[in-house]
Parts: sequence; structure tokens; C-alpha cells
Amino acid sequence: MSKNVHHDPDAPEGQRMLIAAQILSLLALAAGLQFLWNTTGGTLFLFASVAPVLLAVAILMMLLVIIAKLRKRHSLFEFETFDPGEIVFRQGDVADCAYFVREGAVEVVQFTDGTEKVLAKLASGDLFGEMALVNSTPRNATVRAVSKTTLAVLGKQNFMTMLNLMPNTQEDIMRTVKERVMSRPVQ
Amino acid sequence: MGPKLKRFLTAAAAIAGALAPMAARAQETAAGAATFRQDPVDYFGTRFLTAVIVVGMIAILISLFRYRGRLSGPLAWSLLLGGALLIPAVSSGLGTVLVFERAEHVEFCASCHLTMKGFIDDMEDPKSESLAAVHFKNHYIPDDQCYECHTSYGVFGTVEAKKEGMIDVYKYYTRTFKLPVHLRHPYPNGDCLKCHAGAVKWEAAHADFEKALFDGSSHCMDCHEGMGHPAHITTY
Repeated sequence: MSKNVHHDPDAPEGQRMLIAAQILSLLALAAGLQFLWNTTGGTLFLFASVAPVLLAVAILMMLLVIIAKLRKRHSLFEFETFDPGEIVFRQGDVADCAYFVREGAVEVVQFTDGTEKVLAKLASGDLFGEMALVNSTPRNATVRAVSKTTLAVLGKQNFMTMLNLMPNTQEDIMRTVKERVMSRPVQ
Repeated sequence: MGPKLKRFLTAAAAIAGALAPMAARAQETAAGAATFRQDPVDYFGTRFLTAVIVVGMIAILISLFRYRGRLSGPLAWSLLLGGALLIPAVSSGLGTVLVFERAEHVEFCASCHLTMKGFIDDMEDPKSESLAAVHFKNHYIPDDQCYECHTSYGVFGTVEAKKEGMIDVYKYYTRTFKLPVHLRHPYPNGDCLKCHAGAVKWEAAHADFEKALFDGSSHCMDCHEGMGHPAHITTY
């Protein structure tokens, strides 16, 4: 069931695709404005022929990222690999899955007033990303890989189903959440 | 509606409101459109589309500078989907109406000035006695004179004209055209007869060969060759 994938939409790859898609859409709109401002054979050609192609490419790129995001939200222990220093998710991001460290290690860092503070280091067997799912809040910290790391990703829907179906798991996870909340420094 | 979204919409509406009439006026000045012959599709379409496009561009720019491709929250999603997907798609659809509308204007034909200037100058010359000039100065055709005489009747005529027009645009901007320019096909009788057939004055002058003109065995240009536009004006 699980397979080795790496298509995190919030990772630089997904971000770059969305930025490129937005720039293409911007160019298509600029062609429209130029056509409205000064209608010539050239501006009409750009707006009527080139702009739709740019827009189609942009829509395709956005769809790919959105599909990857939805797949992640519903993923059932798909594996993702991260290189050292690569960001898993950022503080403030919308939470759509929880992670289990299969191999390697990650560090949990929080940024306050521009300064970075490492809250925890997690290794094989540890779970993270569950707090935001349980509390339905944005990510309260950034997580990045320390070494070459493989994570098992459990989508939000499946995570919540697992909590409901397995009371023992729910207790364990809630205990972990509680411990982490208690161990956080007072702001 | 959050205060940020409200501020964004207010600012975007203000900028779009300021730019829309300017864009419309820029076109109207070029077109020299008389207010009593104002086309409501062009008038309102231009203003509305300019406003929509400006809102879309502002949404994309805010999204790019603020979120840099990250989808962190409903506002980021709204700006992405609204600015980069929904508004461009709507603009493209609405713009197609204006594309068809504006491609019919004389000013649009004149924009390919290297090839068309001579024809337009002659048509607009009050002293010229060419067929184009006579039709123009007497307002036999009130608007879009090039289009009316060079497009066959009905939707297929329009589609054919657009298709061939795209080839012309390509040749013009790649400078692969040859002067003097020529019509691709012999001037069709139908493009004259769609207006003249049945007119009392025309019937009186063409009664002897009316049947031949209708069945295509004779051509309008057999007698009127070279009278449409002076032949020499396309040579620079």
C-alpha cells in the first residue's frame, strides 16, 4: 500500500510550481490588459492565442499541486523522504497530516521575534504533527530533517478515524500532546 | 469577510475603478467613436473586463509577495484560486467577445500599418472616388467598413475571416508578407450582393446580367476590377 513518494506541496518544489503558475496567469492577464488598452493584430494575437496557452499550463500546474495536497490529506502511511535541512512543514501552515519518523531524525524549531529555538529532536519511532490535527490549529512550529529522513505520512482523515477506532491509541496520542504542551516554554 | 480581505477588495476596486475608464478611453480615442454610435458591448465590456483583470493581477501580486507559493490558510487559497485561476478563466471567456467585436473595427485593420495604411488612407480620403471611399464617405456602411466588405455573410464568414486573419497577423509580425498584398481568393459576388441585391438602383443598372451574377458565371469584379481600392497604393 505504501510507496516511496515525495511530493509535498508545501515543500520548495510545490511552492515553485505555484509561483510559476501565478506568474503565467499574471502574464495572461497582462496580455488581456494590453489588448484592452491598445487593440492591434499583435495584442489581439497575444490575448486570443498565447494567453489561453499560458493559462492552460498554469491551471495544469496548480491542479498538480492541489491534487498532491489532497492526496497527502488522505494518505495512509505513504513514505516521504527528506534530505538534511529540508523543511517538512512550517510554522503557521495549515495542518493536513501527521508524521511518524521511520528512519533518520528531525528537529522541531520555533521562531519567535526572528530568533530560532530548537524545541525538540525526534528520531525513529516518534510521532509529530498530531497537535495541530487534534486541536484544529495551524502548525505551531517548523519541522526540518536533521539527516536523511524517511517519514510515514498519515492524512488527517485517516488519523482522526484511527483515533476514534482505537481508544488505546487515542489515549497514547493525547498523552503525547499533553506532554508536549506542558513542555513548551511559556511565551 | 475578514478585515484584510475587505481592505484588499476596497483597494482593488479603487484601482480598477480608476483604470477601467482610462483603458476604455484609450481605445475610444483611437477609434474616434462617435458617442451616438457607441457600442454597449465594447463600452461596458471594456470597463468591466479591465476592472476584473486589475483585481486578478492585484490578487496574484499579493499572493506572490505575501505567501510565495505557500497554501497556509483560507486567504492564501482564495488569492491563489481567485487570482490565478478563476479571474483569468473568466477574463479569457469575456475577452473572446471583445476580441470578435474589436477585430471588426477599421482601426484594428489599420494597426497593420505597413500593409494596410494605403488602403485606409484611400478609404478615408474624401476626394477619392474608389468604391471603398464612396461607401465610407457616404456612410453606406456606418461602421466596420473593412470587415463588412471583406467578410462573407453569416457566422461561417466571420469564422473564416478570423482564421485567415490569424495567418495575416503571423505573416505581418514575422515580416513574411509581400507587397503589394493581394486577396487570397477572387472577391466573391456574395460580398457585394449581400447588400446590393434587391436594391432598386442596383437592379436598374444590373438587370441584364443579374442572373449571371447570382449563378456565379459572371463576377462583379469583371467590370469593377481595380475600383475597390487603387491598385498602386500598396507599393512602398
